[in-house]
Amino acid sequence: MKTGLTISTVGHAALLAWVALLASGLFASRPLDTPPTESMPIDIVSATELSQLRAGKLDAPKAEKPKPQVEKIADAKPQPNSAQKVVDKPEIVSSFAPAPQPPEPKVAEPKRPAEAKVEPKPKEPEKKEAEHKPDPIAEALKQDEAKSSEAKPETEPKKVEAKKPDVKPETKPETKPEPKKVEVTKPQPKFDANRIAALLDKREAQRQAATGDTLSRTPALGTRTGESPQLSASEIDAFRHKVGTCWNPPAGAPNADRVRVLMTIRLKPDRTLAAPPEVEISARDATTQAMIDAAVRAIIQCQPYAMFSPQRYDAWKEIPLDFNPIEMFGG
Amino acid sequence: MNNLEPPSPWMLSRRRLLAGAAGLSAAGLTVAGLGGGQRRSEAAPRVTITEGNVQPIPIALPDFLGGTPADSELARNMTQVITADLRRCGLFAPIDPAAFIEKVTNSDAVPNYPSWRAINAQALVVGRLRRQGADGRLQTEFRLWDVVEAKYLAGQQFVTTPESWRRIAHIIADLIYERLTGDTGYFDTRIVFVDETGSRDRRVKRLAIMDQDGAGVRYLTHGQDLVLTPRFSPSSQELAYMSYGQGDPKVYLLKVETLDREIVGNFPGMSFSPRFSPDNRRVVMSLQQGGNSNIFVMDLQSKATTRLTDTAAIDTAPCYSPTGDRICFESDRGGSQQIYIMSASGGPAERITFGEGAYSTPVWSPRGDFIAFTRIGQGQFAIGVIKPDKSGLRIITEGYHNEGPTWAPNGRVLMFFRDPGGNGGPSLYTIDVTGRNEQRVPTPSFASDPAWSPLLTSS
Repeated sequence: MKTGLTISTVGHAALLAWVALLASGLFASRPLDTPPTESMPIDIVSATELSQLRAGKLDAPKAEKPKPQVEKIADAKPQPNSAQKVVDKPEIVSSFAPAPQPPEPKVAEPKRPAEAKVEPKPKEPEKKEAEHKPDPIAEALKQDEAKSSEAKPETEPKKVEAKKPDVKPETKPETKPEPKKVEVTKPQPKFDANRIAALLDKREAQRQAATGDTLSRTPALGTRTGESPQLSASEIDAFRHKVGTCWNPPAGAPNADRVRVLMTIRLKPDRTLAAPPEVEISARDATTQAMIDAAVRAIIQCQPYAMFSPQRYDAWKEIPLDFNPIEMFGG
Repeated sequence: MNNLEPPSPWMLSRRRLLAGAAGLSAAGLTVAGLGGGQRRSEAAPRVTITEGNVQPIPIALPDFLGGTPADSELARNMTQVITADLRRCGLFAPIDPAAFIEKVTNSDAVPNYPSWRAINAQALVVGRLRRQGADGRLQTEFRLWDVVEAKYLAGQQFVTTPESWRRIAHIIADLIYERLTGDTGYFDTRIVFVDETGSRDRRVKRLAIMDQDGAGVRYLTHGQDLVLTPRFSPSSQELAYMSYGQGDPKVYLLKVETLDREIVGNFPGMSFSPRFSPDNRRVVMSLQQGGNSNIFVMDLQSKATTRLTDTAAIDTAPCYSPTGDRICFESDRGGSQQIYIMSASGGPAERITFGEGAYSTPVWSPRGDFIAFTRIGQGQFAIGVIKPDKSGLRIITEGYHNEGPTWAPNGRVLMFFRDPGGNGGPSLYTIDVTGRNEQRVPTPSFASDPAWSPLLTSS
């Protein structure tokens, strides 16, 4: 019996010790330590805002009014001088009329230095400087410079340029009255209705997209494919639905499913038409004519277009449209 | 028939237009305008409208004006004929004259658009009728206005004998239809049909002609012989029909204007009348020989006949395409009656129908886009259309007995006859090729086998 009691006591003591050891945490299993996930910033973008996204970079800071992205500072724009522009072009000569006397090239001016100033060519400033060479004032300045600092001959023209602002106030009072004189004495070129094409400016268009007042290479917040400002998807849908209810194209006319009517409409801020729709196709047959009429009728009947928000007039003041009946009539 | 000029406020002379253009160019506006257009198209994407709302066009047709009370009565009748034509075609919704706010007193004046817009009219037709000269010839003129766009659309003047007033009304309806739908009209046309009187077992069948709206019925035969399947020439007021007397069926050619009749020949075992080629020089027909039937073409001048098919099957009901280079016909060479197409000079044929049931009496649309047929199956006779390239099969109307489709000259409307069975008899119906707008055509008694004429004005 003693033996049994001893075994029992020892056994119980061992069990208690085991439990105590467990309680002390020696073998306790640790809870899985998961590092907290970093929260991801999410902006809820409405359909309207999505369709208004600008072109730019996704991680760029959001600016209230982003500047246009430019790579180059625009050249100073020359002062427009209408009188001189007219001089640049030869007068249009009608084939029927006798050739007119060539206009007087320039009013004679007693002072030669001033004449050089009258013709500023904004495109070619270097050439302009070359023209300055015979300028006696510049020569005088050059001599002054040479005397004072004994500069090398290569640097001379540069210094002349630097001194230019000083020169200008001196010469300006002399040159100013000149353009006026030109304007008065110039005969007005005759207008010939048969030669309208000759009036068109045929110079190549100058690219101005990449220039601006200030240099800015940092893109604004936006997406690579963003286009703004535009009508929102919901506005387009509402507009499309409304025009669709008014559009009653002549069903069953021969080849009516192949006639697409392209037009542009201009709206006033009160959301009615500012002018009759400008149809961009010509009526080559009776079906096309009927399709054009039906589309124009729909646009006129459906106004006002109340789905457009007045705050964003710029987005909807001009809407190009395409009436395409292929899905209605096709098949 | 003269085209009317729009009244003076709408007349912009060419000189004035040129002067305006020159003024614009002088101001440099033309150049600016063009540049602006270019920028615009690059700036915003086009909004595409793909779903419209096809509905009848609401049109206001106030009574035409007449000088005397008698003329006013005639003018009113004429307006009613035009109104009925436009309503029947299903593409227009003539507005009830009781709703009109404005009374037209001068057909030459520019209409007061707001009062027509107020009753939701999209188009307005005004007209006038006058007597001219000692013989009392009728001078009719009309003008069609677009009320929504506030512009003049069309107008014409006609001088005719007073008896032709109905035709003038149909011609005016055609012009309105053409200007507003872009398709040629079909109101100035006639229908030849088989008029049936008497009880079912003792039916008298006479050939009759009437306007497409059912007016002015005239009988072309007396009823002693049984007449069947009249076919109009697609390009002249001439028809071919089959007549059963005592012997074999005879084929006649009949000039509708003069009622001149010419016998083409006796054709034993013929079941359908010949059909004309588009140039009116030949007819194509099927002739039975023994147990089978083959297709032949006959030159109307020389009466020379050429065989086009030579099979052991029943090839029948041939019909030319509007270009005249192909022929569609029915044949049981594949087991059941189906529709086939072959060259107008014969050769191999291509089967275009494959459905259940028997397809028969194919008729090529004058527009060329569809072939109409009768389908017999499960005790029903249906009228349907299929495109020559085997696509677009569509059943237009179905019932106990629908048969004999014939096309309106613009290829948009089909006429057929329907027999309800029992003690009744057949009647004529028109239906749009879309399957909409089914209308019964009024006839004096039972009527079957309609044939639609080409436009009277063009032939």
